Amino acid sequence: MIPAEAAVSKLQRDLALGALVKGSLLLGAGLVLFVGPIFNWGANGTIVLAGIAIVWILLSHRSARAGRGVMDAPSLIASGRFEDAETLLDSALRAFSVFRTVKLLSVHNLSLLRHAQRRFQDSAVLCRAIQRQKLGGLSGLLRPSRLILADSLLQLGDLHGTYQTLTEVYRQRLSLGEATSLLVLQLDYEWRVGAWSNMLMNLPSKIQLVELMNSSDAAQSQGLLALAAHRANQPELSRWLGRRAELLADPATLIERRAVLAEIFPKVEAPVQS
Amino acid sequence: MESTGSSFLDVAALLQASQTRPRTNWFWYVVGLFALVVMGASYFSSQTKESEALVDAGSLLLMLGIGAAMAMMTWRSMKAQRYERQQIESIEETVQLRRWDQAASLLQSVLGQPMRVSVARVQALIFLSAVLARYHRFNDAITVQNYLIERHLLDPASEYGLRLGRAMAMLREDHLVDANQAISEIRRMVGDQLSGGLALIEIYRDIRTGHAAEAVEIFHANLKALREQLSHRVADAYGMVACACDQLGRFDEAAQYFLDATTLTSASELARRYPEIEKLVEKYPAAPVPKEAA
Repeated sequence: MIPAEAAVSKLQRDLALGALVKGSLLLGAGLVLFVGPIFNWGANGTIVLAGIAIVWILLSHRSARAGRGVMDAPSLIASGRFEDAETLLDSALRAFSVFRTVKLLSVHNLSLLRHAQRRFQDSAVLCRAIQRQKLGGLSGLLRPSRLILADSLLQLGDLHGTYQTLTEVYRQRLSLGEATSLLVLQLDYEWRVGAWSNMLMNLPSKIQLVELMNSSDAAQSQGLLALAAHRANQPELSRWLGRRAELLADPATLIERRAVLAEIFPKVEAPVQS
Repeated sequence: MESTGSSFLDVAALLQASQTRPRTNWFWYVVGLFALVVMGASYFSSQTKESEALVDAGSLLLMLGIGAAMAMMTWRSMKAQRYERQQIESIEETVQLRRWDQAASLLQSVLGQPMRVSVARVQALIFLSAVLARYHRFNDAITVQNYLIERHLLDPASEYGLRLGRAMAMLREDHLVDANQAISEIRRMVGDQLSGGLALIEIYRDIRTGHAAEAVEIFHANLKALREQLSHRVADAYGMVACACDQLGRFDEAAQYFLDATTLTSASELARRYPEIEKLVEKYPAAPVPKEAA
C-alpha cells in the first residue's frame, strides 16, 4: 500500500521533473530555431529538432497510455476491486509521465480509493495535495476532490474544516451527481451543528435530489430531515419523512450509522455489534 | 405522455446515423513524415551547397507547420469529444430528473449524426431505450436493447441493467415467451445472488399472468434486496404487491402496501409506469404529501 505522504512527495518530485524535461526540450527546440541559423548549424540543427520532436511524441504517447490505465481506476474502486485499483495506481505513480494530468489523476484516484477504504486521514492528505496544485485543464477535478475532502474531514470529526470545504464547493457549479453527494454531506454536517431550520430550507428540491440517491444515502438523508422536522415541531412532516426512510432501510441499521436517529425511531434498538 | 410522431426518435435511422466513423491513426503518419522531411533536408543540403540555407529554412518551416497542424487537429478533436461527453452527461441528468421531452430532443440531435466515441454512443443508446420505454414505445425500446446486447457492446453491469429493461418491455408488450426466456437469462447471470431488479420483473410477470400468490411470495422473499438495490423504485414493488393482494381479495394488506408505495412515489407516476395500478388509485387512499414537501 502506498503511504499518502510518499504519494504526495512523489507527485511533487514528478511534476518538477516533468516540467524540467518539457522545459529542456522546448529550450533545445528554441536554440535550434533561433540560434542555429546564426551559427549556421544547417542539417545538424534539423536533425536535432527532429530528434526533439520524436522524443516529445514518444513521451506523449507513453504518458497517454499510462493515463488510459489511470482512467480505469474509478470503475475498479466502484466495483470494490480495491487491490486491482491499488496495483494500477501504484504503477501509474511509479512511471514517469511528461503530462501533469496523469500524475494528478493518479493521486486524485488514490484519494478516492483511500476514501472507499475508510482511511480518511490519508484521503484528506491526498485531496489537499491535489487542491494545492495548479490544475489548469483539470480544474473539474476540484469539485469531486473537495467533496471527498469534506466527507473525510466530517468522518474525522473536523467540523470547522468540513464547513470551509463545503463553502468552497458551494461556490462551484455542480453536476447532478455532485449535487446529491453534497446534499448527503450537508445534512450530515448540519445535524452535527444543530442547524435544524437550515436543513428544512428548500425542502421540495432536497426531496427531489434524495430520490436520486442510493437506498442507504436516501434513507439516512430522509431520516435526518425527519429529525430536523421533529426538532422544528413539524410532526406530520417528520412522520412522513421517517416513514420514507423506514421503507428504504431498517431503522436499526440507520441508528447504527447515526445514533441520533434513535429519536425518530424510539421503539427500535440498534443491532449489537459483536 | 404517449408516443410522438413516427419520424421523431426513428430507431432504425438513429442506429444507422450514429455509427462512429473509423478513426485514422495519424501518429505513425506524422512520425514518418518527420523522418521524410529530415532525410530530404539532409539529402538536398548535401547536394547543393548554394541552396543549403534555403533547404534548411524550408524544412524547419515544414516541420513547424506539421507540428502546428498536429496540435490544431488534436485540439479540435479533443474539443469535439469533450462536447459530445457533455451532451451525454446532459442527457443522463435529464433522464434522471424525468425531463423526458428534453432528453428525447437531445438524443435525437446527438444520435442523428455520426458520433465520435463508441462508448458515448453506447451510453446514448442506453438512454434512448429508457426514453422509448417511457413513451410506451416498448417494441422500439426492445430493438435498441437487442442491438446493444447482440453486438456485445456493454460492460457486465450495463448489460445486466439493459436486460432487466428489456424483460420489462417484453412484459409490457405481452411477449410472454420472450420475457420468460429473458428472465431465465438474467437468472443465469446473477446466479445465487439476490437481485432486486429481477425480483421486481418476476413479481410483475406473475401479476400479468394472474399468479398473484406467487407475486406476494417473491416480494417477501426478496424484500431486503428490493429495498437495498432499488432505492425509491422499491415503490414499484410495493405498488405491485398491493395489486397482487387486491387480486387475492386481501384488501387491508393491499391498502397498506398502496399507502407505502405512494409514500415513496406519487400514485399518478406509479399508474403511468404500470397500468395494473390504475384501478388501485380509485380504490385505495394514497399517502398524503405534507404541504412543506409538495
